[in-house]
Amino acid sequence: MMLNYFDQFASPIFLGVPLIALALTLPWLLFPTPSTRWLSNRLTSTQGMFISTFTQQLLLPVNKGGHKWALILISLMIFLVSLNMLGLMPYTFTPTTQLSMNLGLATPLWLATVIMGLHNQPTHALSHLLPEGTPTFLIPILIIIETISLIIRPLALGVRLTANLTAGHLLIQLIATAALVLLPLMPTVAFFTMILLFFLTLLEIAVAMIQAYVFVLLLSLYLQENI
Amino acid sequence: MLSRLVLVSASALKSSGPLGAGLVQASRSLQTSSQSLAPLPPLPEKGGKVRHGIFPEELFQLLYPKTGVTGPYMLGTGLIVYMLSKEIYVINHETFAAASILAVMVYGVKKFGPKVAAFADKINEDKEAKAQEVKDAAIESLTQAIEDEKKEQWRAEGRYMLFDAKRNNVAMQLEINYRERLHMVTHEVKRRLDYQIALQNLQRRLEQEHMVNWVEKSVISSITPQQEKESIAKCITDLKALAKVTQAKAAL
Repeated sequence: MMLNYFDQFASPIFLGVPLIALALTLPWLLFPTPSTRWLSNRLTSTQGMFISTFTQQLLLPVNKGGHKWALILISLMIFLVSLNMLGLMPYTFTPTTQLSMNLGLATPLWLATVIMGLHNQPTHALSHLLPEGTPTFLIPILIIIETISLIIRPLALGVRLTANLTAGHLLIQLIATAALVLLPLMPTVAFFTMILLFFLTLLEIAVAMIQAYVFVLLLSLYLQENI
Repeated sequence: MLSRLVLVSASALKSSGPLGAGLVQASRSLQTSSQSLAPLPPLPEKGGKVRHGIFPEELFQLLYPKTGVTGPYMLGTGLIVYMLSKEIYVINHETFAAASILAVMVYGVKKFGPKVAAFADKINEDKEAKAQEVKDAAIESLTQAIEDEKKEQWRAEGRYMLFDAKRNNVAMQLEINYRERLHMVTHEVKRRLDYQIALQNLQRRLEQEHMVNWVEKSVISSITPQQEKESIAKCITDLKALAKVTQAKAAL
């Protein structure tokens, strides 16, 4: 059967076993558990330093009530970064290219922030619907627009991650195919295509990390607004 | 990791009644690692040695007796050629993507590897240095305290000199006081004696003056008017005689 470029995004099921479960859980093995020793090896100490610095930076604008969210946000960040980066390897499947999964991550977290905001401080949460200093005749329209923008947030979060990763993977496949096809025909052009592929891969690595970071950062911002 | 799992499950089993004890005994043959937890063995400082970044050195050592130095390389080449020729691995676009990501990873490790390793080492070194600093500061302050104590002890040895000096001071002050009072006494005595002398002198002078006055008065009163005239006449004749003599001398 014809292989098209979208088959790489089909959730793999092998002999009835959905391999996405493995793809989601196995990256956990790459991160060593911090030991009870005072001084650990290079990997553990770098990992620990990265996690603590990142947590501190992420939760800086959030007030004390939001610090309860530290664990979930950091684990989400590490989860997404590892999934994205491992997906850049050839013949791998990236679970974050599935819109269902990204929406499944984004919607409950966003909804949690909204419900908490409306429950604890409803006036403050609703006041975000009207930015300061708008002219009076614009107020009704602006409230509608802001409400739509609020509702669209989980969709935006999910689709942003999906689209970025899917597009990146597709581009890599396409340019690699171009290089492969051009190699017997015009080797010089194939060489330049390979260079392009090299830079694209660099970009994709950056995008993988940045998209995960943006996801978590936006969630922390929604948290900061509503907590 | 699995030995920890075994230990945890072993302790859970042991507490679960008579059947648990039997299961623990039965599974004891499967527990191969030593179960003592202290003292913990030290962590290895570096990871296992690898060649070309992923192949462990043990593989090369394993194959060396049979195939020599080029053995593992021949094995690798042979495997790759076999997979390509039998089309177990088909070259497709993913190969190029794999080559690209491999190039990126090799470049990254070669360029940033030592820096990252130095950074990771620095984290641990900073932690150690902080603790060492605390220890050094404590030792420093204690050594300083010991030296200060020794100095104070040396200072305290000189207390006898201090006492002697103070004693001398007090004695000197007493002496001064005594001498002052002595001087005052002599001065007062001398003053009184001087007064007495002055008094006596005054007495004698007054007596003398009084006597002189009395003598004068009595002499003057004893001169009668007759005697007075006679003495004046005599004085005039004497003066005339003298005048004549001098006039004569002058004429000569």
